Amino acid sequence: MKTETKHPHSGSVMADRRKKNAAEGIAQTVFAACAFFVILAVVSITLYLLAKGVPALLQVGPGKILLGTVWKPTAAEPQYGIFHVILTSLAGTALAVLLGVPVGILTAAFLAEIADRRLAAVVKPAVELLAGIPSVLYGLLGLTLLNPLIYRLELTLFRDSPDHRFTGGANLLSAALVLAVMILPTVISVSETAIRSVPPGIRAASLALGGSRVQTVFRAVLPAAKSGIATAIVLGVGRAVGEAAAIALVAGGCVNPPFPFRSVRFLATAIVSEMGYAAGRHRQMLFTIGLVLFSLLMAVNAALTKIRKAGTGEHG
Amino acid sequence: MEKSRISVRNLNLYYGTNHALKDVSLEIRGSAVTALIGPSGCGKSSFLRCINRMNDFVEGVRVEGKVLLDGENLYDRRVDATLLRKKVGMVFQRPNPFPMSIYDNIVYGPRLHGIRARQELDGIVEETLREAALFGEVKDRLKKSALALSGGQQQRLCIARALAVRPEVLLMDEPTSALDPVSTRKVEELIRNLKKKYTVVIVTHNMQQAARVCDDTAFFLAGELVESGPGDVLFSRPKDRRTREYIAGRFG
Ligand SMILES: Nc1ncnc2c1ncn2[C@@H]1O[C@H](COP(=O)(O)OP(=O)(O)O)[C@@H](O)[C@H]1O
Ligand SMILES: [Mg+2]
Repeated sequence: MKTETKHPHSGSVMADRRKKNAAEGIAQTVFAACAFFVILAVVSITLYLLAKGVPALLQVGPGKILLGTVWKPTAAEPQYGIFHVILTSLAGTALAVLLGVPVGILTAAFLAEIADRRLAAVVKPAVELLAGIPSVLYGLLGLTLLNPLIYRLELTLFRDSPDHRFTGGANLLSAALVLAVMILPTVISVSETAIRSVPPGIRAASLALGGSRVQTVFRAVLPAAKSGIATAIVLGVGRAVGEAAAIALVAGGCVNPPFPFRSVRFLATAIVSEMGYAAGRHRQMLFTIGLVLFSLLMAVNAALTKIRKAGTGEHG
Repeated sequence: MEKSRISVRNLNLYYGTNHALKDVSLEIRGSAVTALIGPSGCGKSSFLRCINRMNDFVEGVRVEGKVLLDGENLYDRRVDATLLRKKVGMVFQRPNPFPMSIYDNIVYGPRLHGIRARQELDGIVEETLREAALFGEVKDRLKKSALALSGGQQQRLCIARALAVRPEVLLMDEPTSALDPVSTRKVEELIRNLKKKYTVVIVTHNMQQAARVCDDTAFFLAGELVESGPGDVLFSRPKDRRTREYIAGRFG
């Protein structure tokens, strides 16, 4: 090897401090301005909701609203109990997650670990497309395809119960099913990414211990991907909690306690369906509902942040 | 020489069109450490993966020839590869503990194979950690994450994990290449102890290591087995010119 290669002169390594500082300064200002607008948006939304929602909450009384079970905003003696609406949102989301998450995780595991590459190459874009479909279309499909099926089920189940108020299939169960389908794309794609990022050494370790392909997926890979999968679930919950358009079409819309075969109203739909004509106190009350919804979503986000933090800690 | 535990006969392995192992025949003694040496890419890992059939998972791989373990051909159609892998354990180049507790890492294998009783699992954990010379260091934090261990400790944990399914053969693919010298020394010492109970086949491209731990050595070059025999003989009086050159440090 030659040792006396000549190095071309590349100039001084000393920084031109003024030029550098100017560029850095501009960049920092731009970043700060962008961050400022984002924070401004978050703060103003929060303040607006508080300003609009809190007065009614205080005047009517949080207990009467949050725990009241009668929603009669336009009666001579109006009542603003949204307890059932809150319960419906919680129960509907829980049911949707219960139905959608296992299917989503299994699909993700299948795509990432078992399906051959060509099949995965077809299914993956399909899932992504599913995520992009506007939610009102899910509602339309639910209305025309799912509701009649659920109605038929309802007719058989409640044939001998004269007190049952038939919903025509527009009930909590239908809403939960539609929500379950709607959260699938999120759950699938986020968990699939998490599963794919599990290091290959984890699979090799399990297989080399005599694990089968399926055992390896369930006992080694999924547990190793658990923080990513938890994120997927929380994102799914977030989507379900905030959904209004699809639900408005399939849930029936009456304020009732959340039972599978009852017509129900969710928080988000409660706002959408009455905002058009609500006035005065009634209108303020819809903002209070918005505030409740907002708090729920904040709780979901807090959960997400916590999972992310835990994920970067001990167990990857 | 004693009867061999593993006999490899005319083994050929192809990755698609890449002929990675060329007509390899080798006898491996039981209760001994056999080192596979040779430059990178010569097929040592591929050879090792034939002994527990981890090559099955590589797409487009083709294996011809026989690998006999106690007289049974591992490539016979009736072989249950998961049972084989229970009998032939493997330790990898990079420590690959599961992101679980130390305890759960060890009992992973036993649980796969149906052991549920708490007491039995506890016993296995202590026993294998002792075998892997790790028990003293971790006995107070068995429920803590394995990822918090140092690289050397992780590798010994992986050895313990492999031992927990009671294998008879232990395959090790450059088990110390990611470790510092002190950890390496510990693992080497451990390997020398393991041969009392296990048949050990270890890949290394560190010749000093081969000389330190092995009983027998096999030298691979470009997919061929060039020469094999007792380590001291191979290192002091290599028969083949290529072996001599490799030992003198003239390849990779
Ligand atoms: N999973 C694989 N797929 C395709 N080719 C491989 C694979 N593993 C190894 N090879 C090829 O087989 C040859 C031998 O590799 P390997 O067994 O890893 O050698 P070594 O362990 O001695 O470095 C190399 O040419 C390598 O590129
Ligand atoms: Mg290798």
